Amino acid sequence: MKKGVIHLMLIGLAYLCYFLQANFFSWFTIAGIAPNIFIIFILFVGLFGSKTMGAVYGIVMGAILDVLFGSKIGIYAGTLGLIGFLATIFDRNFSKDSRMTMMLMVMGSTILLEVIVYLLNYAIQGINIEILPFIKILGLEVIFNLLLTIILYPLMQRFGYYIENQCKGNQILTRYF
Amino acid sequence: MYRNHKTGILGIIITIIVLIIIVIFTNGEKNSSFFENVASKLVMPVQNGLTYLKNKVSGNHTFFTDINNLQNENKELKEKNSQLEQSLRELENIKSENETLKEYLNLTEKYGEYKTMPAYIIGKDISNYSKTIIINVGKKDGIKENMTVIADQGLVGHVVSVTDSTAKVQTIIDTASSVSSMMSTTKDSIVCKGTLEGTSELKAMYIPTDANIIQGDSIETSGLGGIYPKGIHIGTVKKVESTKNIVDRYAIVEASVDFNKLNTVLVVTNQ
Repeated sequence: MKKGVIHLMLIGLAYLCYFLQANFFSWFTIAGIAPNIFIIFILFVGLFGSKTMGAVYGIVMGAILDVLFGSKIGIYAGTLGLIGFLATIFDRNFSKDSRMTMMLMVMGSTILLEVIVYLLNYAIQGINIEILPFIKILGLEVIFNLLLTIILYPLMQRFGYYIENQCKGNQILTRYF
Repeated sequence: MYRNHKTGILGIIITIIVLIIIVIFTNGEKNSSFFENVASKLVMPVQNGLTYLKNKVSGNHTFFTDINNLQNENKELKEKNSQLEQSLRELENIKSENETLKEYLNLTEKYGEYKTMPAYIIGKDISNYSKTIIINVGKKDGIKENMTVIADQGLVGHVVSVTDSTAKVQTIIDTASSVSSMMSTTKDSIVCKGTLEGTSELKAMYIPTDANIIQGDSIETSGLGGIYPKGIHIGTVKKVESTKNIVDRYAIVEASVDFNKLNTVLVVTNQ
């Protein structure tokens, strides 16, 4: 029952992320560059949810984004799924109690996702590789995501541990090492 | 981790302030009026106080002569002001509606040879790396893939996918877009590709070695490639970049359509 409520809350949160990304962050930008809050969301689910939750949420959310915006099905589904999967690995190896660790995870995930998406678009759609403009956009996007992580970290931690207690129960390990 | 709760909250507040300041500064002129408002709100109370003191000291007693009359007058003026504001809002609505209708009319007159379907832009791509838009017409309105989308100023892009009631349009400034084009004056063929830089720039490539391309040249579609009809205005040459090898030279084309302000488009349904 409680797990069902958690999933409902996460779906609501996913919708909120979509709403913010499509509306609020279309004008609240740093030099015209928006953050990618889907990465933060999927990383959050993967870190605090059960083993498969991150990957499943990543694939489903990515598939919806692919249908809505991507011109090729599967790019976002694959990459966000990968971020969800990586988050479960991060969970096993790093502490979530450190804001700095969380920021490094967000930074790494943002760079990884955007580079993979860019290379896939290059391979599939034949776009021109523009290294300097890409680095500039990616740099601003990473800074924006990091600032948002600093702001949202206390909320993520509080809600995250609630999810973790419900989903993992006595399997929680990282908090005690 | 922060050492205590208060420091943590302070850190978050400082981060939010920093983020807002960065957003305001990096978005340039757009927010100058907001800045002016904030500055004026900070400065005006002090300035008003100082002016009041100055008036009092210099013996300006007229302010106190008939305070009751002034209060009544002020009340009446406020009422009148709110009535005027309401009328102004109504007029603004009518004006905006009128402008949209005019825009449609201009578009239809300009591209009279094509059968077109007007549409509103209802969504823009969430990614920083691609520039597709979603319009409010779809299969049930007769929209199909690869149909050309235009605006009053020129070419917007083409339809890449369609649902029953919406269509996704790849704009010409998208990095995956390339448009077969030609220079209006010399008729030399070039290819205009979207770039990551800016929201209104295209890169004109494969310029013939004997072509004389100069700043201000007008660029239009060539009709080759099977998607875009011939003769639709794309933009003007902003800068010509020469390279060691003349084959590699390229030009920056300023798109005629302002994609930041684009709200209404026309889909060409018979080409």
